[in-house]
Amino acid sequence: MSSTGTTLKHYFVNHDQQFDAAKLGMWLFLVTEILLFSGMFVAYAVYRSWHPEVFVQASELLDWRLGALNTVVLLASSFTVALSIHFIQKGENDKVVVLLLMTLLCAAIFMVVKYFEYSGKFSHGVFPGAGFEPHGIIDGKDYSTYDIPFAPQFFSIYFVMTGIHGVHVLVGMGVFVWLVTRVARGHFSPQWYTPVELTGLYWHLVDIIWIFLFPLLYLI
Amino acid sequence: MAQGQHHIIPIRTLAIVFGLLLFLTLATVITAQIDLGLVNVPLALAIAGSKAILVALVFMALKYDNKVNLLVLVLGVVFAVVFLALTLADTELRGTIGITEPGTTELTVEPAESE
Amino acid sequence: MSEGSHNYLSARKGLWSWLATTDHKRIGILYAMACGTFFLLGGILATFVRTELGTPGETILDQDGYNQIFTLHGVVMVFLVIIPAIPGILGNFVLPIQIGAKDVAFPRLNLASWYLFMAGALMAVFGWLFVGNVDTGWTFYTPYSSGASNAVLWLTSAVFVAGFASIFTGLNFIVTVHKMRAPGMTWNRLPLFVWAIYATGIVQVLATPVIGITMVLLFLEKLMQIGIFDPALGGDPVLFQHFFWFYSHPAVYIMILPAMGIISDLMGTFSRQQVSGYTFIALSSVAIAFLGFLVWGHHMFVAGQSALSSIIFSMLTFLIGIPTGIKVFNWVATMYKGSVWLRTPMIYALMFLFLFSIGGLTGIMVGVLAVDVHLHDTYFVVAHFHYVMMGGALIGLIGGLHYWWPKITGRMYNETAGVIAAILVFIGFNVTFFPQFFLGSRGMPRRYHDYTELLPNFPEFAPLNLVSTIGSYILAVGLLMILVYALYSLFKGPKAPANPWGACTLEWTHTGRLPDEHNFHETPLVTRGPYDFRLADDVFGPKEED
Repeated sequence: MSSTGTTLKHYFVNHDQQFDAAKLGMWLFLVTEILLFSGMFVAYAVYRSWHPEVFVQASELLDWRLGALNTVVLLASSFTVALSIHFIQKGENDKVVVLLLMTLLCAAIFMVVKYFEYSGKFSHGVFPGAGFEPHGIIDGKDYSTYDIPFAPQFFSIYFVMTGIHGVHVLVGMGVFVWLVTRVARGHFSPQWYTPVELTGLYWHLVDIIWIFLFPLLYLI
Repeated sequence: MAQGQHHIIPIRTLAIVFGLLLFLTLATVITAQIDLGLVNVPLALAIAGSKAILVALVFMALKYDNKVNLLVLVLGVVFAVVFLALTLADTELRGTIGITEPGTTELTVEPAESE
Repeated sequence: MSEGSHNYLSARKGLWSWLATTDHKRIGILYAMACGTFFLLGGILATFVRTELGTPGETILDQDGYNQIFTLHGVVMVFLVIIPAIPGILGNFVLPIQIGAKDVAFPRLNLASWYLFMAGALMAVFGWLFVGNVDTGWTFYTPYSSGASNAVLWLTSAVFVAGFASIFTGLNFIVTVHKMRAPGMTWNRLPLFVWAIYATGIVQVLATPVIGITMVLLFLEKLMQIGIFDPALGGDPVLFQHFFWFYSHPAVYIMILPAMGIISDLMGTFSRQQVSGYTFIALSSVAIAFLGFLVWGHHMFVAGQSALSSIIFSMLTFLIGIPTGIKVFNWVATMYKGSVWLRTPMIYALMFLFLFSIGGLTGIMVGVLAVDVHLHDTYFVVAHFHYVMMGGALIGLIGGLHYWWPKITGRMYNETAGVIAAILVFIGFNVTFFPQFFLGSRGMPRRYHDYTELLPNFPEFAPLNLVSTIGSYILAVGLLMILVYALYSLFKGPKAPANPWGACTLEWTHTGRLPDEHNFHETPLVTRGPYDFRLADDVFGPKEED
């Protein structure tokens, strides 16, 4: 394993060119993610515009407090990621390890909250698609009164959007685990920290997607 | 890298932005509880957009970076908006064509025999 | 420049050196073998379609069989041939050398692209062989596709996977062009082929993810009945069409832009002069890439789309004719007062001008909303898109393959065979597809396995279809002939010189007969434009006579 990782590929002229190329490549990839999610935002917008009252009503079944908690958790994780870049640029790798572990912790909290949200929904028969049969009473809400036309569309969109977002969180967590072990082993330095930079960019996009998902699904 | 081209964002800046993001989160939660009529949705989107811009420009360092990267992001967003806008131009202006209550149409085409 | 000792073919040996290569040139060849195979498959399927339609009544296929065959023909040709071929084969092989780079920006990602492409292709084949046949048409419209056999699940997954190949390829080329140009290779000195591949990359990156999410949603619609696209569940089938065409229209620009780039390079080299309107052609590639995103609704004029959005889409569609026309006029102007050298690549370039113009103009015709109401889903549309996709993109690919053949293989094909095959292809193509304009304008619907019932009112359908079928056999002979003499040249063709065409771009001037593994010994310093022939004879010697 290379220690300071000054691996300059033969087809690049210098490290700056290699780093800039990697960053541009990552931004292009992030844009593909934006276009991927845009499809679901379009579906949301279309069905909301056709059935606004149903969407407002159905979103009452989503707990905005959990959504807000998840928003704060992800914002915090973006903060820790940005700080980790700051410190890797200064070569303070031990701080980077701590910050990346905190990021992982935030991501884990996010997934745990999502787990409780999803299992709560499932236990009341709120499934995406054909299994949608809301029942039960919780928090004073009678779920069976939400069995109205086009409520399934709301929940299908909710599950697909948050589900695909959740998959991206899980993938990010996996990458952070890999990254933390590499930082701890001293693979990165201020001269070369490209994987940290690129992972950070990916994570910020995951955060940005949720920044939009939260108000659209939980609040309005 | 060591050439000093890589701008290091001060911790203070990052902390201020984080604080702003938390504040905006609080703002969107509070304003969502108040019935502002037609303003609610655009307001929520505006707040979300502001948060996204803060994350992109500062946390993702687009403000300090090669402008090509910013252009890439802007183009991606522009075409996502084009997708949304032209699709809505159809769905909003169709009148009552095509809006069906579930259960009022049947799949009357027989799927083909496979193999 | 080393001769046989260290070129990219001889540098490493063995199957693993190919399957694990990160050399963009070898990856180009991997794509060539894959796309060539899929083109053969798609062509065989087309022959079945034409044989069935040649005479009324059931000839060799029943209704379900026919629907399955044309669906597979479309899926294979669109996703496994025309979209990946030019970027994958010629973009990979030529672009890095043309800009003076030693490889693309992300060579391992490049190899991953090819594997993703093959994985998608194999998933499609697996589904077809073991799960069932899809008969929805390559467009997978709901609710039929969300309710039909489970084979749709395989095809949607296959398209999803193969789509990533396209995304990563486009991403790779964009970064390569931005960051890896040799000193002196300014944007204004880029060969127009590079501009075209760059513009294509933009489309690949922005559009393909949307077909990705469309396939995911269709998959979930089938699997879990999420009710987004199926009206029986409260969904909207026209929404599926929006999602589908938001990608699939820009996809046709992924198909044609690289071919236009090839034509630009061919026109410059084989007229031996500066390509007229270089800046206009370069910028029109980018313009087409962006404008292509604004017109997808012209596939949906009669789908139930709102009248206003149909009008908007129709008007936006006309706009694309402008940058396209700019290119066509500039290509013609390039030949004016040039020293036109009629070799096989140039024959294909001229063929492109003729066939693509017909295709493009008929595209404008169907873009007219009031006209398309009558022509939608008729053979007029089938003829239009074959003129642009085959007469345009595929002919461009064949011309490009002939042009760069000596640089890729180090051999020359037989010129006489090239000319004869080109004539057969031209005649066969026009005999196949020109009658289809008449069929369509007279009302013959597409995707019909049998037109017997229409014959009493439209007796002309029978002879027109027969002529079209005969043309398809001539076309097949021409294409097979190309395969034969191309393969022959690999083993028995004369060794080609380093620059048989006397061209000015770096892949001809700065490499030997075959490029080195890393393209260049030293980074080239670029001091001239890509079509700067003023000093040509001094630099290259008099052009090859034969």
